[in-house]
Amino acid sequence: MDIQDQQGFTGGNQSNTVLALEFKGSGSEYFRIWIVNLLLSIITLGIYSAWAKVRRNRYLYSSTSLAGSSFEYHGNPIAILKGRIVALVLFAAYNLAFKFSLAMGGVMLLVLMALMPWLIWKSLQFKLYNSSFRGIRFGFRGSAKQAYITFLLWPILYACSLGLLAPAWHQRIKQFQHSESRFGGTHFSFDGRVSQFYMAYLWGIGIMIVGTIVICVAFAGTLGATIFAARSENIAVAGTMVSLALFALAIYAWMFSVYPIFLTLLQNLIWNHTKLGNNQVSSHMDWKKMTSIALTNIVGIIFTLGLFIPFAQIRALRYRIESLQIEVTDSLDHFIADSQEQAGATGEGMADLLDFDLSL
Amino acid sequence: MNMVAGIYFDGKTSRLHHIQLSVQGDVLHITETDALLDQVPVRRSSPLAELRVSERTRHAARKITFPDGAYLEVADKEAFDALLSDTGHSDSLVVRMQQSWRGTLAALFATVLVLILGYQYGLPAASRALAFAIPVSAERKLGDGILDFFDKQIFKPSVLPAERQAELSARFKKLKPPRGDSPDYRLLFRKSRIGPNAFALPSGDIVITDEIITLMNDDEAVMGVLAHELGHLHERHITRRIIQSSAIAATATLLFGDVSALIANIPTFLLDLKFSRDAETEADDYALQMLRANGISGEHMAVAFEKLGKLSPELSNYISSHPGREERIMHMRGQR
Repeated sequence: MDIQDQQGFTGGNQSNTVLALEFKGSGSEYFRIWIVNLLLSIITLGIYSAWAKVRRNRYLYSSTSLAGSSFEYHGNPIAILKGRIVALVLFAAYNLAFKFSLAMGGVMLLVLMALMPWLIWKSLQFKLYNSSFRGIRFGFRGSAKQAYITFLLWPILYACSLGLLAPAWHQRIKQFQHSESRFGGTHFSFDGRVSQFYMAYLWGIGIMIVGTIVICVAFAGTLGATIFAARSENIAVAGTMVSLALFALAIYAWMFSVYPIFLTLLQNLIWNHTKLGNNQVSSHMDWKKMTSIALTNIVGIIFTLGLFIPFAQIRALRYRIESLQIEVTDSLDHFIADSQEQAGATGEGMADLLDFDLSL
Repeated sequence: MNMVAGIYFDGKTSRLHHIQLSVQGDVLHITETDALLDQVPVRRSSPLAELRVSERTRHAARKITFPDGAYLEVADKEAFDALLSDTGHSDSLVVRMQQSWRGTLAALFATVLVLILGYQYGLPAASRALAFAIPVSAERKLGDGILDFFDKQIFKPSVLPAERQAELSARFKKLKPPRGDSPDYRLLFRKSRIGPNAFALPSGDIVITDEIITLMNDDEAVMGVLAHELGHLHERHITRRIIQSSAIAATATLLFGDVSALIANIPTFLLDLKFSRDAETEADDYALQMLRANGISGEHMAVAFEKLGKLSPELSNYISSHPGREERIMHMRGQR
C-alpha cells in the first residue's frame, strides 16, 4: 500500500496523512491492448474506436490507485460512438464548407463556435460522471451559462487581446473545471490566481524565446560562413538549403523540449491550488525529469515508426500521476455518493476528435 | 470451498470493507472479515448472472460489479482466476488476443498489412469510385472564388492577340479526348507573375499562361499541356485528393493523434504529396493518350518538359508535388 507517513507535510495537523497516487500500468501490457484496439478500429473503419476507448480507459483507470483501491471508468461505448459520429459530421461539414466558399465556411465557423461550449460542457459532465473511486462517482455541476462564458466569451476576449489574455483565459478554464467538479457529494475547489498563470506563461515563453534566439544566432553564423566560403554559386545554394533544413529541425526539436517544461509548470500550479473538500491536492513534477521523458519518448517513437507510442504514453502518464498527492485530513472512508442524471456522450466524442486536452 | 480476499465498496459511501468471497453453485457470497464491533458486518449474496466481472489484465485491478453499483476489488488475482474458471467463465476473444504475445504479434502484422493494402489498393479504388459517383456539378462548386483570387494575386490579363487565343482554343477543341464523357471546361488565357505554368481549377477552368505558350514555341506541345490539365479534370483529381487526404488524416489521427498533432501531420503531408505525384503521372498518361489519338507525337511533350526543367532546380522526389523530370521525359518517349 502507498500510504506515506509524511506527517506535518504542511506543518499542520498531526492527524493529516499524505496519500500519493500510484500507477501500476505497464508499457508492454498497454502495447498489447493498444495494437489489438488499433487493428479492430481500422478494420471496422473506426466504429470499434469507441469500444477501444472504453477498454483503454478501463485499463488506465484500474491501474491507478490511491490508498490501495483503484479508479474505475464507466463510459458506455454506444454513447461514445454516437458522440463521435456527431463530432465527425460537424468536423467534416466545417472542412467541406471552406472548400465550397468562404461565406459558407464563415457560417459553419459561427455554428461551431455556438455549439462548442455546449459540447465541452457535456463532455466534462460525461467524463466526470463516468469516473469513480471507491464506488463513488465523480460529477460536474457547472452550468451552461458558465460554459458559454468560459468557452465562447473568453476565446473572443482572448482573440481581441491578440493572445495577451491567454493565461487569464487558462485560469478561467481551470477554475471552471476544478471548482465545479465533485467527488460524490464533496466539491473540489480551486484558488489558482491569474497572476500565477501569467508567471507560468512568462517563464514558458521566456525559455522558448531565449532558446530560439540562441538557435537563430548559431545558424545565422553558420549560414554566413557557408555562403562566404563557398567557391561557386551552386555550392552556396546547396549549403544554404542544408543550413535551412537543419535550422528548421533545430527549431522543431526545441519546441518539443519546451512543451514539457511548460506542462510541468502548469500541472504543478493547477493541482497545488486544488482542494477536495478540506483535503489539499499537490503535484511535485520536476521539469528536468518530464523533459527527459518527453524527449526520449519522441526519439523512441520516431525510431520504432510509432510502435513505442503505447510505452511512451505509459511512461509520461506514470510520471504525471505519481507526482500527485492528496493530504487527507480525516480518512478516505467518509465520502458520500450524490445522485445525478446520466450525461449524454455527444460532447465527449467531440472533445476527442478535435483534440481538446481536457485531461488532468 | 475456495475463499478469495478482496475489498468491497457499497456504492453509497467511500467506506472500505475487507471481505472474503466464495462461489457456491451459481451464487457469489461475500463476508466482511474485519468489521468494527459496533457495526453489522457486510454479508451479501448475488446470482453470478447478475454480476459483471472486469476483463483480465496483468497489472490493473480486477473488479466485480453488482447491479446496484456496489463493487469489489480482488486482492489475490491468481486465486480469483482459478475460482472464475471453475464457474465456467471464459475470456472474450479480444482479451485473449490482448493477453497473449502471439495474438498481439498477429494483430501487429495484420494492422501493418491492412494499412499497406488499404493505402495501396483500397483507398485509391474507393476514392475513385466515390469521386466518379459525385456529380461534376458538385465538384464545380468547390472552385467558387479561386479564379477571382488568382486573378487578383498572380494573374494579369493576357497580352496574347484575341485571334491567337481563338486559334489555340479551336485547335484544342478539335482534339478528341482519349475516352468519352469528358467534362466541360473553359479555356482562359492569362499573363502570369510566377512564370510559365498552366492550371486546372475545380471550377472547370483551365488557365494557360502567356509565358508557357511563348516558352513552348510549339503548338503541339501547348496542346499536350492543355491535355494534361484536361486530364486532371477528367480523372476527377481534386475530388479524389480531398477524399484520400481526409481518409489519411483520419487514420493518422487514430495512429498518432494522442502523441502529437505535429507528428500526425507528417505522414499526411508526405502521402498527400505522393497522391499529387501520382495524379501528375496520370494526367501525363492522359495527355500522351490524347496526343496519340490525334496523331501527335509524345516527343512534343518530352521537349516541353526539358524546356520547363531548365528553368528551376529540382526537389527530391519524396518532398515534391510532381514526379521527377527525367522520369516524365522518359515516360513521354515511351521508355519506362
